[in-house]
Amino acid sequence: MYKTKQLWNPLSTVFRRLLPTTCRFDPFSANSQFPPLSSHPQSSSRVPPRHSLDFFPDSKFSLLSFCSQSAAKLDSTTKRCWNCVTDAPGSTPFLYCDSCRSIQPLDLSIDYFQIFGLEKKYEIVVNGLEGRYKDWQKKLHPDLVHSKSEKEREYAAEQSARVIDAYRTLSNPLSRAIYILRLEGVDVDEEQTVSDPELLTEIMEIREAVEEAPDSQALNQIQSRMTEKLEETSNSFANAFRRRNFDEAVACIQKMTYYQRASEEILKKL
Amino acid sequence: MLRLVANRLLGTPSRDVLTRPLQVLPRSYHENVIDHYNNPRNVGSFDKNDPNVGTGLVGAPACGDVMKLQIKIDEESGKIVDACFKTFGCGSAIASSSVATEWVKGKSMDEVLTIKNTEIAKHLSLPPVKLHCSMLAEDAIKAAVKDAEAKRAKVNGSLKASSIEKVADM
Repeated sequence: MYKTKQLWNPLSTVFRRLLPTTCRFDPFSANSQFPPLSSHPQSSSRVPPRHSLDFFPDSKFSLLSFCSQSAAKLDSTTKRCWNCVTDAPGSTPFLYCDSCRSIQPLDLSIDYFQIFGLEKKYEIVVNGLEGRYKDWQKKLHPDLVHSKSEKEREYAAEQSARVIDAYRTLSNPLSRAIYILRLEGVDVDEEQTVSDPELLTEIMEIREAVEEAPDSQALNQIQSRMTEKLEETSNSFANAFRRRNFDEAVACIQKMTYYQRASEEILKKL
Repeated sequence: MLRLVANRLLGTPSRDVLTRPLQVLPRSYHENVIDHYNNPRNVGSFDKNDPNVGTGLVGAPACGDVMKLQIKIDEESGKIVDACFKTFGCGSAIASSSVATEWVKGKSMDEVLTIKNTEIAKHLSLPPVKLHCSMLAEDAIKAAVKDAEAKRAKVNGSLKASSIEKVADM
């Protein structure tokens, strides 16, 4: 043990000179330098090649700092758990490390669809979301990490909040539409005024009808019309998005916003 | 001592919440806005098909607001003699359109095109997040004027055509 320690110092300097010094691996930083993971992170388990170990076959020193440098150099998509040093393939921790049961720091490059293990498509099975959502909260919820370090409690709060956000965004068709467009780099401009007379007249009439509705039956009628319209426009959006016609997609989102607003006003009145 | 216990219970992520000052400054609507909301002036509709009525219908897609502003033009002078509005949206949007209807009365169509959203916003002390409501009001005025002018042009055009016919007949 002592011998290897003596051996380590000069050899480590040699090794460090071989590696570019700009390579800095900080497991706690936001992983902006890593490219976003592909859709199924569990499948992309690439373990960095271990030829760094050939230099020191008998060594028993800690692998952490040494191998993390090589990991960053050799395979920048594999992330390490900050807590344990598992080498096993498939150990790329996704929000949560199964080996040591510790919550990982927030990684904003993972989008909401990845969190729920879904393809990045607009049409999703909304019913499946709740199950996965609860599964995640069983691992990430802050209530489960009372006894752990402050750092991990912070991670838990952030991850849990993000999963809640993801769940809410993906469950509602309008917010899902806006989100998936944003992922493509298209933002629905808030400031822009719309003057499509047909749509606006329609909305005006609907809102007036809501105002003047005599009873809840009339309101419910309008409500079901709104639900229909929302579904219709939702399908048009899916269509436009699939064809990558983003202008049309934005127009659909604008329509959906109006119908959703009308629907909310009806609910307020009911 | 109590603070320590509170800290422990709440956990550290809410550190920011704890250090925020307890005096919460209330964000309230300016009295002008409340006035326009409670005593809305000029709510209503004119007949859209009246040739002397210009209708401006605009919407803000982000918040789902719709605003309809109508102006009544005096045939001879070309000035706006009356205006009314109907807005579905937040208090700021309603107040902005109400102010717009008040300001356009008695002015000529060219004059009202110079009304800027910043003036409306200043009058109502709108916060930055509500500036687009005043922008909507400005757009509504412009749309109403455009509609009125288009109608007048049509009327003038048909008058000219009929007078030419009369001359031709003579």
